[in-house]
Amino acid sequence: MDEMVSRRLEALLARVQRPARYVGGELNARVKAWRDGVTTFAFCFPDTYEVAMSHLGMKIIYDLVNRQEDLLCERAMMPWTDMMDGLKEEGIPLYSLENKVPLSRFDAVGFTLQYEMSYTNILHMLELGGIPVKNADRGEDDPIVIAGGPCACNPEPLYAFIDAFLMGDGEEVTLEALRLVGQGRREGLKRAEILSRLARIPGVYVPALYEAAYHEDGTLAAFMPTDPAASLPVEKRVALNLDEASYPEDIPVPFTEAVHDRIVLEVMRGCTRGCRFCQAGMLYRPVRERSAEKLFELAQKLVDATGYEEMSLSSLSTGDYSQLNELVQGLNARFANKGISLSLPSLRIDGHLEEALSDTARVKKSGLTFAPEAGTQRLRDVINKGVTEEDLLRTVGEAFAQGFSQVKLYFMIGLPTETDEDLLGIADLARKVAGAYYATPKGRRARGLRITVSCATFVPKPFTPFQWAAQDTLEEIKRKQSLLRGALNIKNVTFNWHDPEVSYLEACFARGDRKMADVLYQAYLRGCRLDGWSEQFDLDSWFLAFRDAGLDPQFYANRERGRDELFPWDLLDIGVTKAYLWRENELAHAAKTTPDCREYCLGCGLTRFEGACAG
Amino acid sequence: MKMLFVFRKDKDLRFIGHLDLQRAMQRALRRSGLPVSFSQGFNPHIILSFAAPLAVGITGEKEIAEIPLQLPVSPNDFLERLGKALPPGLIALEAVGQKDDAPAAMARLFAAQYTFAPRKGEEGDWQKLLDALPAFLARETIPYIRRTKSGERPDDLRPGILNLLEKNGELWATLALNQHMTAKPDQLLTSLAETAGIPVPLADTRRTALLDDRFNPLEQV
Repeated sequence: MDEMVSRRLEALLARVQRPARYVGGELNARVKAWRDGVTTFAFCFPDTYEVAMSHLGMKIIYDLVNRQEDLLCERAMMPWTDMMDGLKEEGIPLYSLENKVPLSRFDAVGFTLQYEMSYTNILHMLELGGIPVKNADRGEDDPIVIAGGPCACNPEPLYAFIDAFLMGDGEEVTLEALRLVGQGRREGLKRAEILSRLARIPGVYVPALYEAAYHEDGTLAAFMPTDPAASLPVEKRVALNLDEASYPEDIPVPFTEAVHDRIVLEVMRGCTRGCRFCQAGMLYRPVRERSAEKLFELAQKLVDATGYEEMSLSSLSTGDYSQLNELVQGLNARFANKGISLSLPSLRIDGHLEEALSDTARVKKSGLTFAPEAGTQRLRDVINKGVTEEDLLRTVGEAFAQGFSQVKLYFMIGLPTETDEDLLGIADLARKVAGAYYATPKGRRARGLRITVSCATFVPKPFTPFQWAAQDTLEEIKRKQSLLRGALNIKNVTFNWHDPEVSYLEACFARGDRKMADVLYQAYLRGCRLDGWSEQFDLDSWFLAFRDAGLDPQFYANRERGRDELFPWDLLDIGVTKAYLWRENELAHAAKTTPDCREYCLGCGLTRFEGACAG
Repeated sequence: MKMLFVFRKDKDLRFIGHLDLQRAMQRALRRSGLPVSFSQGFNPHIILSFAAPLAVGITGEKEIAEIPLQLPVSPNDFLERLGKALPPGLIALEAVGQKDDAPAAMARLFAAQYTFAPRKGEEGDWQKLLDALPAFLARETIPYIRRTKSGERPDDLRPGILNLLEKNGELWATLALNQHMTAKPDQLLTSLAETAGIPVPLADTRRTALLDDRFNPLEQV
């Protein structure tokens, strides 16, 4: 950045909110020199600094890439509106936090796709960084724009903006892709040649090398590679051994507070439960654990390197981690007397928790979170959430006896086959949880019962048994929310719900095809940005964007798909097969549950990946 | 015992606010392995107090904090261990061991010294600012509107300006900073620019010392 620009930046920083998020310089940030022969990568998080710095995946990749002598990784995030407008007015390009280099000067720029509502931010960040927004408009000197993360499992709505998608675990494929890009650029290869070579790396999808054709009704008719390098389907990459997989031993510690500002220990990846709404449970198969021994080692190094006062365990289902008790006790023994608290999120309610709970409670009595997801046993059977009312009430009873008094209950509304009876079951369950509190003897229970019931709107996602399902219309969701508002008017119970409009758009993008790229582009032109922040979200502009693109959102969100419909995401093989998903879909409609696949193999398709799964 | 220590907050950290600084300092103390004390409660934190919060945008050359220690530590040892643990931009300069019942630095604080230097490209107006000094200091009152959390009220800046002079083209000021009277550096610049009849110039502001009521630096116990 030249001196004139940095002087203008200086003045800009003095007038924006929370400038600390735009200056870098955190403890453990890696500022590497831009030497010849080093491939430069900007890891872009398409949301604000506070969200980005809470994200484990970014820390893993940042650390992994920076450990390589021939590579470097710097960070960039979505600026808030004041900074974004300021950068434009002052003619300052969006820059990386480490060396303050404009995005356009990197060899590769990579976005993590964590949620659909961050997509407009990607377009804005490209524009702010001085990179043509559409991949077709990029020149030989522009960076190669890559993307990965959970939403890459349906990359098609972004096909016009991203040059290459990396599928599966980033530890595996990122280094290969970056080295290929860097080498190609140093050799002076044409952009098209670099992309074609990228497509030969297993797990890389280069959308420019495929064409899509549609039926008259708008559904996908065919999907064809146009380059011999392009494989179909593209198979995801899997890091089979987590103890051997790269994990950071120090992480940047933000000065300004992140949303989740703590040490995160990933104990496990994947989940065998098979909840039918859960995309992560399908995407991250097979289940892989990190050993308690390895986690103790990492925890000690991270504590020494960061000074964090809080640590949490992360996975899709920490209650299923086979060494949970040993781990929790070991961590407490090592760190409790140093004032470091341990929190255990997303515990399933059928684990044997008492031991684990009494250990956490010694350090910090935070609230407990449970996710029954549905209000009646019938509907929990439909979604294969193998949790009974008895389990829940027994576990909250134990928690109340341990001195916990705050319980959060998460539900979804709009699930397939849902009736009003299922909705009223949510209120019933909340009432019974309150009953379990009052059944705990007064001397044992803590004061201040607080039950929070949060209801999200169900979004059907690719690669789940509900990928064929229609989402409820906005009107229907609103009716259901107001029904629940009435039913949940209970003492000590708070009811939270989300705007269904956001979930509606999420549904459009989650199962969107290439045509949705037009909607995204129009919305970007209309100034949509930071759509995940309710104060910024502007539904009317989105409806206009659909109109501009000549598309109907109901086609994407509210349409039930036929069994044999070709889906945009069928071009990927993420492990589970469509046949397995359909079987599960049929079982769902019969309200029949499927056991955890550790009991016996359900033939989901993972055994096709060598060494992934015992079967 | 307790330890009083002096540290620098570099220009690179001028956008880090006081709460963020407190958190960064706590984490550094945790990394240092020094025998710190924790508060009681479910969210124990390291007991640490700063003599005076530093406003965002200002560099601190000799900031002061105090911390009780559970075991005796020599000042040199303290300085070395804290120094190694501090994040880039925070530099430990000096440590002074004190008895537990020694008066708190915060209570001894009376005034602070500031230096204002013109930002590049602002030199033109700066001279006008310096030229206005005699007229400014000759004013008996310098009324301004003080903004506080509870609202706005009229106030007088003049009695809080304990000393103000030009040195090598920079502006040096000693401003009251105690429970009876506080003059803020940005208000000084604003009022001075008003007297000079120019827009408020962009300046690099440094707090160079925290002083007791005899105008000795707080670290000289």
